[in-house]
Amino acid sequence: MTTAAIPTNEFVRFAKFFLQELKPRGKWLTPFNVISIPVIFVGLIILYFRFTQGLGSVTNLSQQYPFGFWIGFDVMTGVALAGGAYVICFVVYVLRLEKYHSILKVTILNGLLAYIFYSGALLLDLGRPWHIINPIIGNSFGYNSVLFLVAWHFLLYTGALFLEFSPTIAEWAHWERLRKFLTSLTLGTVIVGITLSMLHQSGIGAMFLMAKPKIHPLWYSEYIPLLYFVSSIFGGLAMVIFEGTISSKVFSNLIGAKTHHSHEDIILGLAKGAAIAMFVYYFFLAFIFMHGEKWNLINTSWGYWYLVEVIGFVLIPCFMFAYGVRNRRFGVIKFAAIMTVLGVILNRQNVCLIAYNWYVVDKYYPSWQEITVTLMVVFVEIWVFRWIVTRMSVFSKE
Amino acid sequence: MEYYSYVNIFETKGLAYLLLLSFLVLGVLLIRYLSGPERKDSARGKKTSATGG
Repeated sequence: MTTAAIPTNEFVRFAKFFLQELKPRGKWLTPFNVISIPVIFVGLIILYFRFTQGLGSVTNLSQQYPFGFWIGFDVMTGVALAGGAYVICFVVYVLRLEKYHSILKVTILNGLLAYIFYSGALLLDLGRPWHIINPIIGNSFGYNSVLFLVAWHFLLYTGALFLEFSPTIAEWAHWERLRKFLTSLTLGTVIVGITLSMLHQSGIGAMFLMAKPKIHPLWYSEYIPLLYFVSSIFGGLAMVIFEGTISSKVFSNLIGAKTHHSHEDIILGLAKGAAIAMFVYYFFLAFIFMHGEKWNLINTSWGYWYLVEVIGFVLIPCFMFAYGVRNRRFGVIKFAAIMTVLGVILNRQNVCLIAYNWYVVDKYYPSWQEITVTLMVVFVEIWVFRWIVTRMSVFSKE
Repeated sequence: MEYYSYVNIFETKGLAYLLLLSFLVLGVLLIRYLSGPERKDSARGKKTSATGG
């Protein structure tokens, strides 16, 4: 056999293997499939109109509201909730808390898919999506814009997450030498990944610094990058608890007995971290409120809405996490995780949409097409996640 | 000359100082609350092992 024939043979083998793996496994008629398939189908039709007839044909975006539900939910919220990946990487590789090693791969996969799909959804929202490459290739870098930093960080961090997950792909494809090489890169990639992630989580908040006159003073602060960073920590941890709870039920046959056993211990640790991060975040908000002397704004309808977010979706879940950890009440912890995720969604929607242009009478409301496409993005991500975890060794078999 | 009241808690930013103090105190209490029962058990375990029990 010639040396040129070896890669060709390997390519043919992998192509056959991949086609084999593409075949569906398990039952087709499940509640999730019944709901998700029509939504994905309708979403694709809407996207056809979006790309052939423009944004105005399917969205309620305007010059006053350039950031709609797609950016507000997919990019802003999705990236914040994907923060679990860098937090767990930090905990495992930097703090050396091996207890969390069993959830590392699945958290990285969740983060990778969130970045691919949610930041990828940015393409839908740009009037001229082919210009997205400009900050990368140098066709007007835009150094002065925070978006330049965010664009590069998104790209590099998605690459870092892919590298962190790549040993699992190599193992699945039976590329043993490549797997060893990729595993040797892990620590360096993780350090770069954590740094990038911390910077762009705050960078997304920094984008709103130039919108000071447009954002309601209760939500605007010069510390908004810090708030976005801290909220991504507990938002990410709450998402890991939420996803882990669902995965442990749906994919219970893929998870080893030892991991099942340690699942409760892991949830307690994550909830403890979330409680502390939320406590710090709450006090940041209180400091900003007092420093900005915003007392006169609190006894208004916007003030009450602000209190709903801060007390209802930050302080109360923080207490619930603490209570759940102390008394080992997992139901309370899981409920607190859901409230925390909703709180992060609410905060991003408030900054991006609800309290944005708060003085305008003609408010923006997302169209049904925008909501359907967002649901489509979420469902497609879950489909890809399910395909990967049922084929690659993502969950710990121990 | 501009009047400045040293007893007005808003003007002196006294509330910010009080908030900072309460953050530090409540932070310690939260950490103690979160690791309360486990710490007692582990302290008892260490005491027992130190006495050779």
